[in-house]
Amino acid sequence: MIASAQRRRSVTTTSLGQPLRDTSFDVLRIPLLGRFLRWRWSRTVLQIPVLLVGLIMIGHAFWGPQLAPKNLAVLLTWVHFRGLVVLVILLAGNLFCMACPFMLPRELARRLFKPKWEWPAALRNKWLAISLFVSVLFAYELFDLWSNSWWTGALIVSYFAAALVVDTLFRRASFCKYVCPIGQFNFLGSTLSPVEVAVREPETCDRCQTRDCIVGVRAPADFKASDGTAIEQRGCELSLFQPRKVGNLDCTFCLDCVYACPHDNIGLFARLPAEELGMGGNRSGLGRVEKRFDFTVLIVVFTFGALLNAFAMISPVYTAEQWLASVTGLDVEWPILAALFATVLILEPAILLGAAAVFTRWMTETRQSVPAIINLFARSLVPIGFGVWLAHYGFHFFTGCLTVIPVAQNAALQSFGWPLLGVPRWQLGGIPESIVFPMEVGFICLGLAGSWMVAWTIARDLSPMRTWAGFTAWGTLHLLLFVSAVWIMIQPMEMRGTLLGG
Amino acid sequence: MRDELIRGDTNGWSAPGSMRLRAKWLAVGAVVLSSVHCGPIESAAPDIAIELRWEPSPPVVGNVDVSMRLTDAKGTPLAGAEVRIEGNMNHAGMKPIFADLAEVEPGRYSGTVPFTMGGDWFLLVTATTPEGNTVDGKIDVLGVRSR
Repeated sequence: MIASAQRRRSVTTTSLGQPLRDTSFDVLRIPLLGRFLRWRWSRTVLQIPVLLVGLIMIGHAFWGPQLAPKNLAVLLTWVHFRGLVVLVILLAGNLFCMACPFMLPRELARRLFKPKWEWPAALRNKWLAISLFVSVLFAYELFDLWSNSWWTGALIVSYFAAALVVDTLFRRASFCKYVCPIGQFNFLGSTLSPVEVAVREPETCDRCQTRDCIVGVRAPADFKASDGTAIEQRGCELSLFQPRKVGNLDCTFCLDCVYACPHDNIGLFARLPAEELGMGGNRSGLGRVEKRFDFTVLIVVFTFGALLNAFAMISPVYTAEQWLASVTGLDVEWPILAALFATVLILEPAILLGAAAVFTRWMTETRQSVPAIINLFARSLVPIGFGVWLAHYGFHFFTGCLTVIPVAQNAALQSFGWPLLGVPRWQLGGIPESIVFPMEVGFICLGLAGSWMVAWTIARDLSPMRTWAGFTAWGTLHLLLFVSAVWIMIQPMEMRGTLLGG
Repeated sequence: MRDELIRGDTNGWSAPGSMRLRAKWLAVGAVVLSSVHCGPIESAAPDIAIELRWEPSPPVVGNVDVSMRLTDAKGTPLAGAEVRIEGNMNHAGMKPIFADLAEVEPGRYSGTVPFTMGGDWFLLVTATTPEGNTVDGKIDVLGVRSR
């Protein structure tokens, strides 16, 4: 098994015998862009406009029109933000964590209150974030957040407050690593990104004595930084030690390690998307992902949640819900919704993954236990899951991308009493559905291909002589998810309040 | 075909000329076109009535004929008004649809609403009387069916 991407990069050679690292594309070496990103305050510059947009959204959520299609908070949160997140992750990297606006108030607060506590050891895992991830998905359906300006605004404010409180009380990036559900989504999604923060020359790290990339740059003894500490430049707050870091999991692209490295030995390298999902072994700050059940559950929620979230937008879900209501006699929404969530996020994955693992164990005659095999292959679900998110969020974004123009024009008109941005052009929409649909299918196909490649890699490592035997069950599972996703996408959309007419 | 009754109030009637008093969502309430929500629904604002008929009913994706009858508190038809409908989905990110209704008899207006997607919609109805008064109303249209 490959120990680390960096190690591998250092020994892999091209067909011409040159070290691969010499030909790797480093975004930080691009003229202007690279110089900007290497500038210590570049992240702040990116965060400020996003924060301003966030404040406008909050204002519009509470004091703007309470009609969802005319409200910037609802539109930008549930159409543009979600769509851009998945597209940017696919095409570039985890840039939304890089430009995260929730971190700016936290940075200001930390100038006043230094966090004193370490994040509790019992919570140093993904369970809390998984719970919040499921809660957001559940609240989205239960409260019809996509059509509710006030609750969308409340969600944004809660997010700011939670980030502020957690990171004011606890050291390092506790909120990002252990709490933030958006962050976990981005971490998993960015395993499919084409770039990765990585070291340039591993040998340089071998000779490094200071390890500034993880501990930070300390000022001379007689100097204190403007915030009163002796740290001039912090190192990685997510505990990712660059020489042992593998892939993008838990990486917020904050580039603190780049600024801290005294040898200018860290870059933003192009790489093969999803390749890291096939890698096992110890990862700095994470341990062995393939042995962590919390990561398995996170991946399951990520993948099956994508199907559930899309399923909730088509008419068959209402039939299923009405059936559940009639069978149980319930006329309140939440227990029926909870049953639906339990079925899709717990029961269905347990059956499917369990069956795949049992079959794999039988076919490969491996000694690994069924839970261990599930943990091992769970990573292969990420590409197909991300493909479904891409198809779903991409649909909303592409078909409605231009609607932000008239909504912003209308907001300016109502706020200032005159058409500051022009008269609202309500006829603006987006790309026709007939064009977007093939894109949706294409995204899901890409996801299937990615999942198959990852599963093949894992199966080969598990049983080199019986790779097909190890792959078959998981490849079939991916195909089943693919068919389910395509079936959902070809259903006519019915955007209704979920359950019993909302 | 089903009739739905929405009642509003007259606070939104403005004085003639430049004094344009807008009735803020006076017709709040649901016109429910599905079987679950059939029948008249009355809002707290009782003085303006909008009576809607759809064909087909409940409405489906595509062009749906709408007939609307506007009356004041005394039941007098609101004749000669210019009536415009703006339809939006509850979900953000969808282009709104528009329809101008023509008066077919005093106080009764008809036209075609082109629903572009199944799901929950709401209609913003604007009626401008010959005197220049404007009445706005919001009507929920839940559960437009996909074909």
